[in-house]
Amino acid sequence: MKIYNAKKEITCDRKIVVDDMILTTDMPTTAGSKMLDGYVSLFEAEVLTRAGNAGYGVIGKTSVGEFAIDLVGETAQDGALIEDGILKSATAEAIKSGDAICAITLDVNGSVRRSVAQNSLVSVKPTYGTVSRYGTIPVACSGETVSVVAKTATACRELLDVIAGHDDKDGTSLPETEIAKVSETKPVRRIALLTDMTKGVDEETSARLDAFSKKLTALGVEVVSVENSIIPVSRVAWNILMSAELCNNVSRYDGVKYGYRAQNFTNIDELYTNSRTEAFGELLKTAIIFGSETLSTENYMKVYDKALRVRRVIVEEFARLFADYDAVLTPACSMMAYPESVRADKYISYKENFYTAPASITGLPAVVAEGAQLIGKAFSENALLDLVALCEKEGK
Amino acid sequence: MDRDTLRRLGMLNQLSLTDVQKEEIIAFFDERESEAKAELDVIDTSDVERMVHVMPVFTVVREDVASQPFTREALQAGAPETDEGYWCVPRVLE
Repeated sequence: MKIYNAKKEITCDRKIVVDDMILTTDMPTTAGSKMLDGYVSLFEAEVLTRAGNAGYGVIGKTSVGEFAIDLVGETAQDGALIEDGILKSATAEAIKSGDAICAITLDVNGSVRRSVAQNSLVSVKPTYGTVSRYGTIPVACSGETVSVVAKTATACRELLDVIAGHDDKDGTSLPETEIAKVSETKPVRRIALLTDMTKGVDEETSARLDAFSKKLTALGVEVVSVENSIIPVSRVAWNILMSAELCNNVSRYDGVKYGYRAQNFTNIDELYTNSRTEAFGELLKTAIIFGSETLSTENYMKVYDKALRVRRVIVEEFARLFADYDAVLTPACSMMAYPESVRADKYISYKENFYTAPASITGLPAVVAEGAQLIGKAFSENALLDLVALCEKEGK
Repeated sequence: MDRDTLRRLGMLNQLSLTDVQKEEIIAFFDERESEAKAELDVIDTSDVERMVHVMPVFTVVREDVASQPFTREALQAGAPETDEGYWCVPRVLE
């Protein structure tokens, strides 16, 4: 089973993999799409420069689903990774195998968090703007975040410390004064378990959530079940915003300057249309059309503008929750393994992101561990990781 | 969503769709529309400001210094076809 495109052997002790949304100069970056087959970037992502300066060495790149909007990578141009009828994530497999100690990924639509939950790994999606997105393939810029995956919270924390920080080259990078708030950690003492976010999960996922909740309680953290009808709306609003942003971002791929070019065409319109039609997969085409429709004159106010306003409602709802709680606890996926058969629903990632959309649409930090997801206040990622590290210590 | 609108959207986005894809996309749209009605439209946002950025955005400026970050060869390395330093663009004039 091929889980990553390996570089030549490196001697570094701190071996990492990066997913195919992160630009590298010595390996192709395809975003899982035929459109970028063989594309090699002129510059590398800022996060890789920082990781390299700190002694991390990239051993290879893991495949992602086309533009990272699918479940766990099953729409990758080189095919889905399937073992015993179960969909696998290349990034998660690379970490599980022990070949790499960490992975740097781009969390666009939650596929990273879903696979981490299913593989009992740890991931941190930091507060939006604290880690540079310079040199990542843009898809849904207002919510996507560079994330770190590892076997332990400590390993996540070490790499995150290295790659976080202001970057002039990223217009959405926060100033150092803001990013410094990450180190002002306050311990997590009260957690709201959002019962409305547990709807639709299977027995095993529910049991994992319950076990994690009990573990937190044993550590002296108060876990309170809370009903909330606003946070679950995140999915519908995020699907609109993600698709609208994706539609604009992938409009640059036309088969002329780089990437895939159709062989048969008789005029410029056919060149564009045939190149895009032949290179893009079905989920991506639907997302483009949907995003385009939400931005149309007829729907802009009714759909796109509405989703932007609902985003504020959700952000304010989280702020209300954080007045009483330090973090919220939710699942990261509905089941602990996706059978191959789920692919019969081509658009399942537009439903399964119910669990990951709240952190995506708000830019809040999310840590996935032990099959569950903790979402914290802005800049609380270190506090969340500290709590998970404590759980790991107690579990030994 | 009707077929005419879908055809127009396909054209605008430079995508050609098969009949099967059109049916699937129409069903996808119908589902998304129902969700929006059921979940978004029930939230009163008449007094709520839009939130485009979740974090404050700061204008980034840098010194206006001329530089040559990439060579012509490097810039053309990813092009489908080049010739003596020029991009080869397919013949498209009829």
